[in-house]
Amino acid sequence: MNPAALPAGRFLPSVWKLLLLRLRISLNSFRHARTRAKIGIIILTVLVLAFAAGIFTVSWLLLGFLRSPQLLRFTGVNPAPFLEAVPVLIFTVLFLGILLSSFGVLLQALYLSGDMDFLLTSPVPIRAVFITKLMQAVLPNFGLIALFGLPVLYGLGITGGYNFLYYPLVVLIMILLALTAAGISALFVMLVARLFPPRRVAELLGFVGATLSLLCSQFGSLTRLYRPGRDISGNQVDALFNGLTKLNTPWLPLNWAGQGLVELGQGHWLSGVLLVGVTVGLCGTIFWFTLVTAEHWYYTGWASMQVVARRKRSAARSSMPRSSGLGTLFKKILPAPVRGILSKDFLVLRRDLRNLSQLVTPIIFGIIYSLVYLQAGSRSFSDFTGSNMSGMPAWLIGSFSSLLAYGNVGLALLVGWTLLSRLAGMSFSAEGKNYWLLKASPVRSSHLLIAKFLVGYLPALALGLFFLVGLSILQHTPIVGFLYSLLVVMMCLAGLDGIMLAFGVAGANFTWEDPRRMNAGLRGCLGSLVAVAAGPIMFGLFVGPLLIAAALNFPSFYGYLTGALLGGVVSAFCTFFPPWIMRGRVAHLSDV
Amino acid sequence: MSDPSILIATTDLVKRYGENIAVNHVSFEVHAGEVFGFLGPNGAGKTTTIKIIVGLLQPSSGKVMVAGYDVQSQPLQAKATSGYVPDTPNLYAKLTGRELLHFVGDLYDLKRDQVQHRIDELLRTFDLSAAANDTIDSYSHGMQQKISLAAALMHDPKVLVLDEPTVGLDPKSARLIKDILRQMADRGAAVFLSTHILEIAERMCDRIGIINKGELIAVGTMEELRSLGKAGGASLEDIFLSLTGGAEVAEIAEILK
Repeated sequence: MNPAALPAGRFLPSVWKLLLLRLRISLNSFRHARTRAKIGIIILTVLVLAFAAGIFTVSWLLLGFLRSPQLLRFTGVNPAPFLEAVPVLIFTVLFLGILLSSFGVLLQALYLSGDMDFLLTSPVPIRAVFITKLMQAVLPNFGLIALFGLPVLYGLGITGGYNFLYYPLVVLIMILLALTAAGISALFVMLVARLFPPRRVAELLGFVGATLSLLCSQFGSLTRLYRPGRDISGNQVDALFNGLTKLNTPWLPLNWAGQGLVELGQGHWLSGVLLVGVTVGLCGTIFWFTLVTAEHWYYTGWASMQVVARRKRSAARSSMPRSSGLGTLFKKILPAPVRGILSKDFLVLRRDLRNLSQLVTPIIFGIIYSLVYLQAGSRSFSDFTGSNMSGMPAWLIGSFSSLLAYGNVGLALLVGWTLLSRLAGMSFSAEGKNYWLLKASPVRSSHLLIAKFLVGYLPALALGLFFLVGLSILQHTPIVGFLYSLLVVMMCLAGLDGIMLAFGVAGANFTWEDPRRMNAGLRGCLGSLVAVAAGPIMFGLFVGPLLIAAALNFPSFYGYLTGALLGGVVSAFCTFFPPWIMRGRVAHLSDV
Repeated sequence: MSDPSILIATTDLVKRYGENIAVNHVSFEVHAGEVFGFLGPNGAGKTTTIKIIVGLLQPSSGKVMVAGYDVQSQPLQAKATSGYVPDTPNLYAKLTGRELLHFVGDLYDLKRDQVQHRIDELLRTFDLSAAANDTIDSYSHGMQQKISLAAALMHDPKVLVLDEPTVGLDPKSARLIKDILRQMADRGAAVFLSTHILEIAERMCDRIGIINKGELIAVGTMEELRSLGKAGGASLEDIFLSLTGGAEVAEIAEILK
């Protein structure tokens, strides 16, 4: 199909039809959603609108304040250059934001959604299909950035008394910049898809995205840890203002749109029209070029033909389990089906980056909270109480010190629990549509449960012990205390694994397409919550007697013995009983 | 079940989904050395029956015996003797073909050296040796179908159940699969397959069962089915359409010509 040969009259109606189709799909999804989901969406929409109104009001007031002559008189700082740089800043964020964020959406829309062949074989111009795909990729993030940016830009116009042309041009420029960014992103997607399989790229993106968002969410904890109590100074604000103002240089083409709009708004017609006109022309040209090139690459098959041959694994490397020390031990004590499921699960977990993005969470948590714990551990008891200890009873000081000494156990359990939530809580759900293979095989329910228990327990234990040993070395923990900590971590994690595995069986879901969306439903969440409650109880039963022994000045041996008995019995119960009551259900999983 | 030559036997098999009856009192037998074709229109209950036979689905009532074992009360023994190839080969996408076969070997508790030998043999037979170390997500539909059949044959089952085994296969692979199924039957296994391709059923199957709206409406050899269809030289397609009420569709198609 040659796009140029198509009658021009069919182009816009086709784009309109395709957009309507997308709208109909969204409306149908809403119509067929559960009532609580519908209520949630309506509430979210209202909140978003209220939020936009709030931003508009706040930015209007703030910008009015910044423009007030009184402020200039009192502070002597003229904020006008900074205010004129605001549109430049927002347009830059919009362009770069869309450029980066639409990569994943376009990868999905062009290669993974599966509707491209259907659309391209129907009597619709290929260009209409591509424009719709670009708009589909741009809309969510455009909406999000516009939600923040548009109220600020309009607030700036109102407080600055800009003329009427400023307001519609703001929207036009935003749309043009977004489409240009999406066009460039589409070409970039095709270049990458020529080098690597799109599905693999999507997995990698998911992994990087999840890791980055987690790191960003924990960034606050780290900064508070290393720079406690430091507020932003006036000098820093001043430097920020100056930096932003300096960025507003005419040498960057991205700045022309913002500068042109401000000039137009202020009535400087010549420079304003020139800058805005150049921006519109440039955006239009780039967008047209990217669109035509993308169509050409797609239609000729250039973008689907991978040029990098996939690396073949050597037969020796891949011919499944090689016997290691641990492997030989497993071979002696575990039945073949259990070993097989273990090997298979570890291979699948390791190879699918979408799984790894979930598994990296406990490692990041562990590192951050180890630093927090070590920082806290370097402080004395009085740092925590905020007073001198003369008035404190000796038993309280002794107990608190003992509790602090077992903080590393708490941390190892936290890390292990986070990992178990994914590995044990979703161990059955993780089979997905492949579960038929296990179900049609002569594998006992008990063997399946043992295998799935170990799939969760072994990595959680390894990671928990890694942090426990590391922290114990750094803290010079006495050997007896370390060995007891080891026992506590091993037993408690087994107990948590048993609980989460049982709830994972109850809430098994085999219908997912993307591992990140496999959830064990309400029952799986309940499992994590029960484990959250059971973890501290088991930990308390192990450590509590030690604190009491320290408080009462009893020999610590009695504390260890009582703790091991109480905690051991309860954690062993949690390890065996919940999976045992679920063994009957395993045989009927996925029965419809 | 007294006759050891009967490897699959269903008795009054019923599967209900609420008010709907997917399988309604279905009874048949498949003998050793026999290729049994299971035909029916879309939604007739073929896949449901197959899933009950291989132990993937619990019947509402009735009994299934596989190689002399009751699938409900002796599921492990029944499953150990049977192999299953589903209509959609959902396989672990991130395992290589070789790793998948190793995994299946472990599930069936086969000996290590036996597993290695069998894997090489099956990969060679199905022309998958070159792709053996690639992950399954890089396989074409036909390759996935072939590795799925190889997995079902790993333990040399007495009973082989296949749901639409030739869909999406090139002629060479389809022929290979037909030959393998025939060889299995000649060696004394029972092969139970569902198919939409009536020509395959007519050429390959020793006996054929036709299911419609959950009920088994005919079972027998081609000759027996012809006598049921009351037309001496009728093809399986004619018999199928006359039994399942699709004859009017054929007439419409004729008019449209």
